[in-house]
Amino acid sequence: MQVLAQLLVSGIAVGMIYGVIAFGYQLTFATSKTLNFGQGEALMLGALVGLTLAGHIGFWFMLPLVLIFGLMQGAAVEWLAVRQAIKTKTDSGWIMATIALGIIFKNLAENIWGRDDLRFPSPLPEAPISVAGVNVLPMEVLVVFGALGLMLAIEIFNRRSIFGKAVVATSNDRDAAGLMGINTGLVITFSYALSSMTAAFAGVLVAPVTLTGATMGSVLGLKAFAVAIIGGLSSGLGAVVGGLILGIAETTTGYYISTGYKDVPGLVLLLLVLTFKPAGLFGKAAIKKV
Amino acid sequence: MKSSGTLLIAFALAAASPAVAADTIKVGLSGPFTGGSSSMGVSMRDGVKLAVGEINKTGGVLGKQLELVERDDQADNTLGVQIAQELINKEQVAATLGYINTGVALASQRFYQDAEIPVINNVATGTAIEQQFPAPNYIFRTAANDTIQSAMIVEEAITRRGFKKPAIMADSTNYGQLGREDLEKALGGKGVKPVAVEKFNIKDTDMTAQLLRAKEAGADVILTYGIGPELAQIANGQAKLGWKVPLIGSWTLSMSSFIDNAGPNGEGAMMPQTFIQLPDTPKRKAFIESYQKAYNIERMPSPVSAAQGYDSVYLLAAAIKQANSTDGKKIREALENLNTKVEGVVTVYDHPYTKDDHEAFTRNIPVFGIVKNGRVTIAHEEDIAGEKAVRVKMKN
Repeated sequence: MQVLAQLLVSGIAVGMIYGVIAFGYQLTFATSKTLNFGQGEALMLGALVGLTLAGHIGFWFMLPLVLIFGLMQGAAVEWLAVRQAIKTKTDSGWIMATIALGIIFKNLAENIWGRDDLRFPSPLPEAPISVAGVNVLPMEVLVVFGALGLMLAIEIFNRRSIFGKAVVATSNDRDAAGLMGINTGLVITFSYALSSMTAAFAGVLVAPVTLTGATMGSVLGLKAFAVAIIGGLSSGLGAVVGGLILGIAETTTGYYISTGYKDVPGLVLLLLVLTFKPAGLFGKAAIKKV
Repeated sequence: MKSSGTLLIAFALAAASPAVAADTIKVGLSGPFTGGSSSMGVSMRDGVKLAVGEINKTGGVLGKQLELVERDDQADNTLGVQIAQELINKEQVAATLGYINTGVALASQRFYQDAEIPVINNVATGTAIEQQFPAPNYIFRTAANDTIQSAMIVEEAITRRGFKKPAIMADSTNYGQLGREDLEKALGGKGVKPVAVEKFNIKDTDMTAQLLRAKEAGADVILTYGIGPELAQIANGQAKLGWKVPLIGSWTLSMSSFIDNAGPNGEGAMMPQTFIQLPDTPKRKAFIESYQKAYNIERMPSPVSAAQGYDSVYLLAAAIKQANSTDGKKIREALENLNTKVEGVVTVYDHPYTKDDHEAFTRNIPVFGIVKNGRVTIAHEEDIAGEKAVRVKMKN
């Protein structure tokens, strides 16, 4: 029982990281039906910028600056890679363009911060907290609640503020929103900025638990993409639940079956979802009108 | 700075053929100078450059200066092959030093074998590296192979420290899985079966499942075969679970990426080392000091790689001198029957190679290092006490 609890706790901590990155995929998909395939790199840049800033001004003061950096980075991605593709209504231009930008960001980071993994000093004590024999790092608790908090803040913003309503309107029907006088181009730019901001935030949250380096984003970005598919690209809740499912599946399979097969159930689940519920567990099925 | 022996060689070389002094002898150098194993690659390169600089300052070899042709293989097999072809065909090197990664070595060295140009592997440890070709084999090594290391790890854990229930944790690469096989074989030789054999991937950040399995199986020691960043995650995961059993593993536990990323959690980890940054002989003292001075650092990122790289240059120089030629075949024959004793920093090389034995190191040469205060130091003082400071190759 204690082992299972420990596995669940670790699975939730890992899963929440996947979830928050997947949430970023969902943000841009909602408004523009496009994704930033450089999401993992946005996370990596956030972590590395955060590492450099934390060395000068400390972890907590660094956070808002990293959020601003993430906003700008996301806006830049939209401006460079996505806007043109949306304008010309090409189906796939943005895929190649965001992947290419991701590679450029990675190379840039390698040149600035080197190719070795770096240690990110933890702002919280590194000794584990023990509750009924289950150990958890203070930083892992911060990851879970920080990620939840950020997602909640964005959801509230979308539902309550007037600008958020423009985002929701654009998600529901971009053309109609445009006719109603909403600057949909700006809304899409904004959604990219928000998306990279969540990734950058996730980056500085996970960096003290994982390691920090130019390649830290590639595996996380890919797994989060699987999570977004499992949970449904149109649902914020789906991102969270999908992340938890994958995280817990990984740790429990690793323990109960074999650590060599750790990644298998997540992928099997991905295939099952794509076969039986292509819109994802929480996604709204798309109705294609002809 | 240098021993009288090497000086003597150098003077002899300087006198040998001054007529062609303008010429150089090209020596290839291939290793990962960027990426996850770059701390080993860069240290190896710096050790090699130090030795080349010393030799050139005293007149070079056969009256010619040694010229290094450095290439970054990025631990990438394909790139390694391209570099091998470039060094052989375009640069026409007399020999090549290097290879950190077993995979790159295995993929690249067949081109040298075909071109009859010697390679001295100064870091890669895969046992298969020396078994790829039958004699005449052009591949040599100045590193402790995985068979030696796994036997040492098991000896240390089971015999010396008396652990009964080892768990093995190895990464899913060739390096990790071949090492795991060697470990299981060595454990079998002692009649011990590991209580858990776990696997992890490069870039894995959560080791909870692996560690819990080992813990629930009652493991009292963890034997590792992986590289720095993931090994650090194992140590950090242990701290998280509040389960502290010793880590004993292959020499990669000495990588700075392990020591720095594991921090206090990595203290006490033990690994076989052919060289420890410890000035216990005049030769080693001089080497460490000139390395620190040349590269302006206090802690060598990978002392083993630097020392083995340094020694490989002196072995090659001695062989070229004895062959009195830069012809690959003659250099190989000279290496296989080296008449001069070469005093290196790891050991004194007295006939290090024969026709069928291209391993410079035997089981008795490496000792156990231990991580203490963020550095690797000697685990058992008695291993290097007195005349054991320099351990030479055992002869059959």
